[in-house]
Amino acid sequence: MNFLAPLFLAGAAAVVLPVVFHLIRRKTREQVPFSSLMFLRVSPPRLTKRSRLEDLLLLLLRCLVLGLLAAAFARPFFRRPLVLPELRGTIRREIVLLDSSASMRRGGLWESARSKALTAVDAAAPGDAVAVYSFDRQLRPVVTFAEWNSRPASERAAWVRARLGTLTPGWATADLGLALMRAAEELSDASTVKPGEALQVRLISDLAEGSRVQALASFEWPKSVRLTVDPVVAKPAGNAGLQWVSGGAGTAIKVGEGVRVRVSNSADAVRESFSVAWVRSGSSEPIGAAIPVYVPPGQSRIATLPLPGTNVFAGLSEVLLIGDTESFDNRIGVIPPEPAPVQLLYVGTDGGSETESAGTGPAHGPLFFLRRALEGNPQQKVRITAERADAMPRLDDAVPADLIVVTSELTAERVAPLRERLNAGGSVLLVLPPDGGSSVLSALSGVTGLAVEEARVKGDTLLGDLDFKHPFLLPFADPRYSDFTHIHFWKYRRLDAAALPGARVPARFDTGDPAVLELNVGKGRLVVFASGWQPSDSQLAVSTKFVPLLQSILESAGVGSVPTAAFTVGDSVPLDPREPGPTRIRTPHGDLVPLAAGTASFDATTEPGVYAVESTVSNGAAPRVLRRFAVNVDPQESRTQPMPLETLERYGAPSIVVSDRPATEARPANGGALAAIEAEAQQKLWKWCLSAAFALAVLETALAALSARRALTPRDGLQSSDPVPS
Amino acid sequence: MASHPSSSTAVAPGSLIDPRALMALDSLELRARTVVRGFATGLHRSPRHGFSVEFTEYRQYTAGDDLRHLDWRVFGRTDRDYVRRYEDETNLRCHLVVDQSRSMELATQGLSKAAYAATLAATLAFFLQRQGDAVGLMTLDAAVREFIPARCRPGHLRQLLQSLERAPSGQATDLGAALDRLVELVPRKGLVAVISDFLVPVADLFPRLRRLAACGHEVVLFQVLDPAELDFAYTEPTRFQDLESGQLLEVDPASARSGYRARFEAHQRSLRESCLDLGIAFHAIDTRQPLERVLLAFLERREGRGAVVTSGGGRS
Repeated sequence: MNFLAPLFLAGAAAVVLPVVFHLIRRKTREQVPFSSLMFLRVSPPRLTKRSRLEDLLLLLLRCLVLGLLAAAFARPFFRRPLVLPELRGTIRREIVLLDSSASMRRGGLWESARSKALTAVDAAAPGDAVAVYSFDRQLRPVVTFAEWNSRPASERAAWVRARLGTLTPGWATADLGLALMRAAEELSDASTVKPGEALQVRLISDLAEGSRVQALASFEWPKSVRLTVDPVVAKPAGNAGLQWVSGGAGTAIKVGEGVRVRVSNSADAVRESFSVAWVRSGSSEPIGAAIPVYVPPGQSRIATLPLPGTNVFAGLSEVLLIGDTESFDNRIGVIPPEPAPVQLLYVGTDGGSETESAGTGPAHGPLFFLRRALEGNPQQKVRITAERADAMPRLDDAVPADLIVVTSELTAERVAPLRERLNAGGSVLLVLPPDGGSSVLSALSGVTGLAVEEARVKGDTLLGDLDFKHPFLLPFADPRYSDFTHIHFWKYRRLDAAALPGARVPARFDTGDPAVLELNVGKGRLVVFASGWQPSDSQLAVSTKFVPLLQSILESAGVGSVPTAAFTVGDSVPLDPREPGPTRIRTPHGDLVPLAAGTASFDATTEPGVYAVESTVSNGAAPRVLRRFAVNVDPQESRTQPMPLETLERYGAPSIVVSDRPATEARPANGGALAAIEAEAQQKLWKWCLSAAFALAVLETALAALSARRALTPRDGLQSSDPVPS
Repeated sequence: MASHPSSSTAVAPGSLIDPRALMALDSLELRARTVVRGFATGLHRSPRHGFSVEFTEYRQYTAGDDLRHLDWRVFGRTDRDYVRRYEDETNLRCHLVVDQSRSMELATQGLSKAAYAATLAATLAFFLQRQGDAVGLMTLDAAVREFIPARCRPGHLRQLLQSLERAPSGQATDLGAALDRLVELVPRKGLVAVISDFLVPVADLFPRLRRLAACGHEVVLFQVLDPAELDFAYTEPTRFQDLESGQLLEVDPASARSGYRARFEAHQRSLRESCLDLGIAFHAIDTRQPLERVLLAFLERREGRGAVVTSGGGRS
């Protein structure tokens, strides 16, 4: 018999305790009434040794209980050749799942995993069906069942060997749960399973702690499919990982402040001292001083890495972790996100007057507040082009206007280009000017005969009916922000929303008249404000609602959102379909991937590094870099410690069989231990030990109670029962 | 003329009633009746019966009465025939002194000393009452609880039994004071039967007994003991609690048993010798002992004291 945790056997030494307690007189706790103490003298129980043991049966029971408990905790098992139940002698249908995540790049793991996969393939009988899949974030077929079956049995092994020979681990993180789920689904597909087949998923993985298994939680594992885990184990040298701690979207890296990176060290690490430094792409030569970081095993530290020069991003966009034993996750790209460009065209009576923005105008007009509301936002680079109402608006393709704001009446010929832009998919915000606006509204909306008149307001009016489900007002839906009662309106223009078919009214005044109105015109959208935001009309511009309201109008116009510049391998990187001209992507290795016009995203982020979106101008000039983004190894992948198999079971995987089949190369150091774990899990002798201990404890309690009752009553017949003769 | 039962024929050994079985009867009177009836069965086989009848009243003449005892003067005056008893006839007046202290509660064999003592007292009272003797009762614990003078009236027995049925109480036993009080309350000579465990210092008790005997009383001591008090057969180290004072004592019986027995034996010996000196009958009983045997021993003892037991006789 062997023990999984033999240290617990030391607990068996506790059997000494009952023996000692039996040898020492117990100090009494019982209280017995007696008629008179006049003939008794104090004689406290002696705590001295007894010359002989009493209650031998009780003593034996107590020792046995303790011994069995210690044995149960030591997890006993009989070492014998593992018999994999129900698979012997049947036709197997097996999917070999080969982990190809970044953590498999560690020393020797991939070769070991590949040879395990080959061993599994070699072991297949001619009637068996084996498919090989590799997985990281996705499940990729290497050899499908159809391909397997299409080959003659004699050629299969060599053919799979050739396929596996070209396979290399990727850089993405492992979604173990998803892979297991898909494999189980594929195996248990009723249309392909023949009756009598034994179904098995063989997982060959390093079972890194960072692998995602959450997908299993919502998956009901088919009962017919067995899971065999064939772990590959790396030398326990530990691994340290690097992560860029960005300050969030729009946080620009400023010279002098530096970049913050998190260095985390695994619990089984042997090294504690690392350093981080800037490097160029493709180079490992540190630029500037390396910053030393001390990270104890199992912990993480934040280090600030100052920028070595002023022009940082001319090829200097990567940070290297120096001193780690495993190098696959030691390099990260650091590209701060750039502010989103927003082009805004303003047309109004105060447009074109640059002095207005300095606050010297006769009154603070709408433009004055618009500039202050939008400019200076770190997440957006807003450019407002102001035009006077009496000048022809300059609108062409070279000057993209994401939003056109009109605050005055315009003549028909000046409205026409705006209308065209609207029809083509642009967005126009029309603020009805005092005493008018009907002609410009009619021209923009295409609805003739609209009546717009100045409303007669006694004192002031408030916003009465607000639709917080409308995208404009969605940011205010929280009750903490939904109070609009402190915004007073002194003037507004009345218009009949019913006259505009398809118009939505997110906000109304308390008189019932529309305050904000939204209308689809052609492909574009027209937003109408019935009152201006400047103080002559209302308090809207000076209220806290103004900026968020403009932002939500901008966002609903499709501009102003900040593209993220940090991705992990396998992420889909959103692209701006409005990028001018043909574009292409330069990968970290210098490969060029041309992009079709209007491509919304780039999915081939297969390796870490800095990617660049370039504009390929046909005139032969040097390609212009439109945007760069960094793709890094998922920080989760740095957590390379083996996960306990119980984690898989907890997430709903069936009872797992750990394969004890020796690999063709050096067997992992703890392979025997794994076999022991499996044997112990199959035999479950500890349950018997515990049951026996429990039964003996019950017996002991009963016996002890019986003997205690006997001891408390004086025994008959100790002396002659005859009375004292009188 | 009272007579005495013969010990050899009075009680057949097989007919003895186990005290524990007897105590299953709830009614004290029934218990007493049961004991006396069984005893009387043996009694009637004897040519002698009764030991003391001392009458002081008139009794209507019935056929068979000796005509010498007829009161002719009454007959002449009222034309009714009465048998006359002379005033100087001695009557047996028996007082039962029953210890009802808490120490009598000890019951290791399922039968407490108090229950045994009460049944013994009830049996004696019933037996004596049946013979027409006057029976009184004094119950005591730390002081005298109740005193019922000796009477021979119908219904008197019921009163005695009610008093005997009361539960033990009291934090101490002051037997000496009770005996002193009895001397004051009972000036006439008579029989005094003291039923107790006598677990009190003999030095305190002895002067009181001597005074009682000196007053001319015939004194009989019934010492009721639990078997555990006799042999102290406990085995485990135990904390003993005094039933009366509540005092606790850590005792290891293995080492304390010999000392206990020695002291207990010394006490018993001293008690017995004191009684011998004073001519007092002393019966040590344990609660396993059948009551008939106790009663018989008591009667035999009285038989031995023939001078004390006087038969009732009339003077015409």
